[in-house]
Amino acid sequence: MASISIQNVYKNYGALNVLREFSLEIEDGEFVVLVGPSGCGKSTMLKILAGLEPASGGRILIGGRDVTDLAPGDRDIAMVFQNYALYPHLTVRDNIGFGLKMRGIPAAEIRRRVDEAARILAVEHLLDRRPKQLSGGQRQRVALGRAIVREPQAFLMDEPLSNLDAKLRVHMRAEISALHKRIGVTTIYVTHDQIEAMTMADRVVIMKDGLIQQIADPDTLFQKPKNLFVASFIGSPGMNFLSTAPADGAAIKLFGKKVPVNVSADRLKQAHSNGGIVAGIRPEYISTEGGGTEFIVRPSLIESLGSEKYVYFDAGEHTFSGLNDEEARKGLIARLAHSSPLAEGEELKLSFDPARVHLFEGRSGEALN
Amino acid sequence: MKRITAQNIALYAGVIAVCAFLLFPIYWLFVTALATSAELTQLPPTFWPKDPQWETFAKVWAERPIPLWLLNSTLAAVGSVALSMFVSVLAGYSLSRFSVRGGHSLGLFILTAKMLPATLLVIPLFSIFRSVGLIGSLWSLVIAHSTLIIPFTTWMMKGYFDTIPRELEQAAMVDGCSPLSAMVRVILPIATPGLAATALYAFVLSWADYAYARTFLTNEQGSWTANLGITTMKGEYVTDWNEVAAAAVFIAVPILIIYLFLERYLVGGLTAGAEK
Repeated sequence: MASISIQNVYKNYGALNVLREFSLEIEDGEFVVLVGPSGCGKSTMLKILAGLEPASGGRILIGGRDVTDLAPGDRDIAMVFQNYALYPHLTVRDNIGFGLKMRGIPAAEIRRRVDEAARILAVEHLLDRRPKQLSGGQRQRVALGRAIVREPQAFLMDEPLSNLDAKLRVHMRAEISALHKRIGVTTIYVTHDQIEAMTMADRVVIMKDGLIQQIADPDTLFQKPKNLFVASFIGSPGMNFLSTAPADGAAIKLFGKKVPVNVSADRLKQAHSNGGIVAGIRPEYISTEGGGTEFIVRPSLIESLGSEKYVYFDAGEHTFSGLNDEEARKGLIARLAHSSPLAEGEELKLSFDPARVHLFEGRSGEALN
Repeated sequence: MKRITAQNIALYAGVIAVCAFLLFPIYWLFVTALATSAELTQLPPTFWPKDPQWETFAKVWAERPIPLWLLNSTLAAVGSVALSMFVSVLAGYSLSRFSVRGGHSLGLFILTAKMLPATLLVIPLFSIFRSVGLIGSLWSLVIAHSTLIIPFTTWMMKGYFDTIPRELEQAAMVDGCSPLSAMVRVILPIATPGLAATALYAFVLSWADYAYARTFLTNEQGSWTANLGITTMKGEYVTDWNEVAAAAVFIAVPILIIYLFLERYLVGGLTAGAEK
């Protein structure tokens, strides 16, 4: 186990910057998730960390040792791949023991450690099979076994659950978290799934276009997003965005009402002249219980999930132009739990707590509160 | 159900027709070897000799140095396979895995060598072999055949390596392999069907050569390959076609044995990548 220090690492392919000045300090035993949309540079960063791709610049230290120019096998890390990358010509036992064999560990010791890893992952009965005879979940376990048997300084996981079906994914997510708690090895996990990131991570690194957008624990990301991108990426359904304008004093205008906010009047005016103000309200913070700021809507669509309802309604004058067409067409959304029967097109009184309103500057997308 | 049966009948009829078409020359070779000289020129021809001349095989085996010719052919073919596989596996792997500036153009350039007719290369190769003293040696055939084989087998191997996920080498490298040992320990064992198909192609190409053997080997019959030897059985005035056919059967046997041995790999090699 070891701490990992990534210092100003960047990667260019010719004129294309796929990763820009990435710096991150990871504590010993920490579970860090890199998350972001396709092409954000998260997998590139992981491959650079593994030594499978050279960085264009910067330094990487694992356990205080500079590994920037070391071969993957000399970095004392283990990696779990998206497609498992099990060796098809070897049995499960040989797959798990391959890394130990490469390091010249005696056969008896390999056998003992493979048996131990197989016991932890409950694949003892599969040791003599070949990968093609295993199910997706079993392959995933064998891939994890190959990683833990080495007792490395760090685990690197590249979207290890994305090839599994939804149910198995939830199950394996919990298993990986439990495994991490049990063996406590520093883990860097890459995913595009924000739910995986939020449920598994001690800290999440959100990336976009090769740049880190925010590094924080899951609760902070949800409650204090640093910019519009983070606010829109985290949460399901995503945050509602409304184009708004300052009212008198430290307040904004929303649904024809003056909504007090914890941002100074001057700062609001400045942001307004800088591409406008965008207000963000999470769907779960809109309710039918009254209090706070109340407004009347006519739902355009109601989706019932049994335990809760998604109520869609038009943003009207507050429609935010930064959204893509599909998001804009759907309008705003409220996530209502235990609501009375609702009907589309009928008037519905909704409310939100002004303290829950996030504010962003229109042009830069930076958070104002 | 009826329609499926009709389809099956049509399918089997088609398969039988194609097999008959492909196997007829082999059948005719065998019949020719067993027929008497009189039967060979008879019209209409007999489709199975009335009195099969099995002793023709024994006669040819005793009178001609068939075992020696087969040995020479085998040595030339095995040498060509070994040399061309060594080069084309490494070249194909490089073309598949490493992106170097101009790599793709280099790959295409290698392939254009395959487009040159073998006869075009005979004179320059002869000149080179004479200057290094290889004329009359089987090494001349090993090298000459490899020049024909390598361009195509390099692309065959590249195509096969392309179907193997890169993550396998990456996993092996994380597990402690160097790039070369990852290839040897992980990729080559997985590429067995591709290697078998490529090796067989190389073997057949070398085994079937006549022009290079005729040019580079001497006039001593002990140095000839089987294909070259068999052409000397054609006389100026009289040719015993049944003897020629019997010798041809002997020459075809090693290839058939190799096909039977490699068949299980070959089928895998031909279908590999279809599921990706």
